[in-house]
Amino acid sequence: MFSKALFKQSAKANWMKWVCVTVATCVMLAIVIIVLGNLGINDIRDSLKNVFTQADQESSLKEESVDAYDSYFTIMGNYDELYGTLNTTVNVPPFINNQTVVSLMNSMVIEPYSTWEQNFIETNGREPTVDEEQEQIQSVANTFASFSEQVGMEEEALRTMIVGLLTYYSQDYTPPTDTAVDDYTVIDSYFAQQVYDQAYAQEIAKEDATVEYATTRAESASVMAEDIIVRYKADVASAGGTYVFNAENYITVATDYVNDTMYNSVYDMQIEEGATADDAKITAVSVKVISNTAISTYQLWLDEFAADNEASGAGEITAEQKESARSEAIKSISDQIPEKVGEALAELGNMDIYGLIIGSIFYRIAGLLLPMVFVIMTANGLLAGQVDSGSMAYVLSTPTKRRTVTVTQMTYLITSLLAMYLLLTVVSVISIWVVGGNSFAINYGEILLFNLGAFLTMFAFAGFCFMCSALFNRSKHSMSIGGGLTIFMLVCTILGLFGSNVVPSAMRIDAMNFFNYLSIISFFDTVSILDGGLSYLWKFAILLGIGIVTFIIGIFRFDKKDLPL
Amino acid sequence: MEEVIKVENLTKDYGNGRGVFDLNFTVKKGETFGFVGTNGSGKTTTIRHIMGFLKPQKGNCSVLGKDSWKYSSEIKKDVEYVPGEIAFPDLPTGTEFLKSQAELLGLKNMDYANYLLERLQLDPSANLKRMSKGMKQKTAIVAAFMADKDILILDEPSTGLDPLMRLTFVDILKEEQKKGKTIFMSSQMFDELEETCDRVALIFEGRIVDIADVNALKNLPYKMFKVEFLEDAEYKKFKAGEFKVVRDQPQYSQVTVQVFNEDLKQFFSTLKNYKLKFISEVNYNLEKYFLEKLKEMQKEAKNV
Repeated sequence: MFSKALFKQSAKANWMKWVCVTVATCVMLAIVIIVLGNLGINDIRDSLKNVFTQADQESSLKEESVDAYDSYFTIMGNYDELYGTLNTTVNVPPFINNQTVVSLMNSMVIEPYSTWEQNFIETNGREPTVDEEQEQIQSVANTFASFSEQVGMEEEALRTMIVGLLTYYSQDYTPPTDTAVDDYTVIDSYFAQQVYDQAYAQEIAKEDATVEYATTRAESASVMAEDIIVRYKADVASAGGTYVFNAENYITVATDYVNDTMYNSVYDMQIEEGATADDAKITAVSVKVISNTAISTYQLWLDEFAADNEASGAGEITAEQKESARSEAIKSISDQIPEKVGEALAELGNMDIYGLIIGSIFYRIAGLLLPMVFVIMTANGLLAGQVDSGSMAYVLSTPTKRRTVTVTQMTYLITSLLAMYLLLTVVSVISIWVVGGNSFAINYGEILLFNLGAFLTMFAFAGFCFMCSALFNRSKHSMSIGGGLTIFMLVCTILGLFGSNVVPSAMRIDAMNFFNYLSIISFFDTVSILDGGLSYLWKFAILLGIGIVTFIIGIFRFDKKDLPL
Repeated sequence: MEEVIKVENLTKDYGNGRGVFDLNFTVKKGETFGFVGTNGSGKTTTIRHIMGFLKPQKGNCSVLGKDSWKYSSEIKKDVEYVPGEIAFPDLPTGTEFLKSQAELLGLKNMDYANYLLERLQLDPSANLKRMSKGMKQKTAIVAAFMADKDILILDEPSTGLDPLMRLTFVDILKEEQKKGKTIFMSSQMFDELEETCDRVALIFEGRIVDIADVNALKNLPYKMFKVEFLEDAEYKKFKAGEFKVVRDQPQYSQVTVQVFNEDLKQFFSTLKNYKLKFISEVNYNLEKYFLEKLKEMQKEAKNV
């Protein structure tokens, strides 16, 4: 089945071709990898990618600022409302300050409840149950409400607030030892707790929410609430004990608060990461500027909408208007580019130009051409050429079987290809090592798969050309069908490249993708290899199958045909 | 005698009257069998069948009792072949080629090959591609003969050889014959065939017209003479005489007579009495024999 003498003969006849093709292809490959590697072909991509990463960061920074501003504003309003309720519901004359109101609350609500609780524990020797607590809370609230009715206070709103207060009190609140120090404590704590609960409920209701994140958000909201309370009290004190809520004032207060918070947190983070104070300051200031821009834009849009609403008599700003103001405010650079251009740029940014040139251009097209020429010429010369010229007569006039001839020639063809690609593999691995090894855009595993894929592609073509060489007695027929179809497929792959997804969509001509269906080179899926998918595996198997089947057809056909020798 | 090559009802129709049709012949052991015919008459096709390169449409060929097509590689153990078309494998020199061929043949001893190279005055170290036709032919002959196998199948083996070399080749063939080898060769050269072959088959348009026994042709029981007389009266007198006239050309006063070997003496003594312009023996050879046959064939073909 194998003739050493014939193998030697084939090797002698074809070694020159083999050396030329192998050396030329190896040199091309080394140049592609090393020279392009040093040119930093991926710089453009990286800078584009940076732009988009920064834009994303900017966008999320703005989002954070606007949301913080918005919730600060809301919380402030809520606190003011609570504070206002206390003032108005108790309906005390303006000269009675809030301290009096709160003292009244303490003596008439908190203290009776606290006393009841102590008595209950002494009498029953246990804590009251939730139901019993509720009942007592309700009755205390009712008592206070009916009293307040007598002095002309609004009953319902007050009772709701008192029930809330007492509920909160019954759960967590420890009465301050020195009530004189801070009479507001119970109200403030209640408020902060409410803000916490609300923020938590809002976060946990969102899709893919985690308890951890919701807790963090709720905590920061409650910290914010405490800050608001401090500021509000300071304002009340500076206004001489009374304070009328004025939204205008809070725009500045809220903006300053958010900007400062952003500045401080970024500054701290930079210092923590080891930046110098100056550098940290620069970064923090730029973040503050971004935050400020976002908030101003947001407020500007809100003002616009408010003016519109006033003109049309539509009333309050709707949630939709708020949302559109927010989306305008958080726009980054990338949002300002027209959508299509942005998509194209983003795609370019994500594109692996290096992988594309080495995989899709070199291994699938340029690097296949010379091995193809070798395979077309050699496969033809191994059988059809010798039958056509008649030189096969010398081999077949010795006791050498036709099967021996075909198997030997096939072995030579496969061995020469294998040797060629082993050498190419060595060259490619060395080249990758030269330009940076595994840290390079293409790693060793990928380059090995590229070589394997190219070898299997050539194996399939070798089988096909060998089959043609075995089928035809005339060189010209074997060459024109075997070689012609092979080159045709290469050309199709070149044309198909312009329609494939390796070309950026801006330059892609989708109709050209049709050509990819005409070429078996499409089974050499370099994109799948780079993506880390596994779909290239079954495609490799198909290439292997094509090679095996065509070789076998060639061998069997050659046994049975007439030879004009 | 043992039949070495046997062709039975061999038919291969390539269409348009080309191919071989219903060929039958056998070559016996130790015999040299010639094969002659016009260009495209089917000589090479027949040889390719015997070598097992072509599959017969009908009939079969066998060598030493083995079917040529089925046992193609086995019969080669006993067969040497010089192909009609000389094209060598893609190797640099004749030496390389002979070495490679010896390896394929499993031949270790190159003594005979060297002897043949010397006889044919061939320097095999020349570049295969630049060899003249004659050199290529010599190389092909050495490549085939060096294995010293029992059966030689030669397709026009002397083409391209100069006349002197042709003689050497005939000598070599005779040496091979002496070794008892069976030779089957096709040729265009009648003299060559006449000199070496025991029997010669004439093939015309794919059919064997005749198989001539060369020895019988060489040893005919009569000779022929062409005689021209100076005087017309004498010419007429001779014509009326006892000798058998096979051709008469009165305008030249010329006759061709057939004389049996035993009558030669009488023939010449008779001629003493005539005044002759010239006398010459007309050689009757294979070529003449086959040309006559071919003319007959063509006449027949016209009449039909």
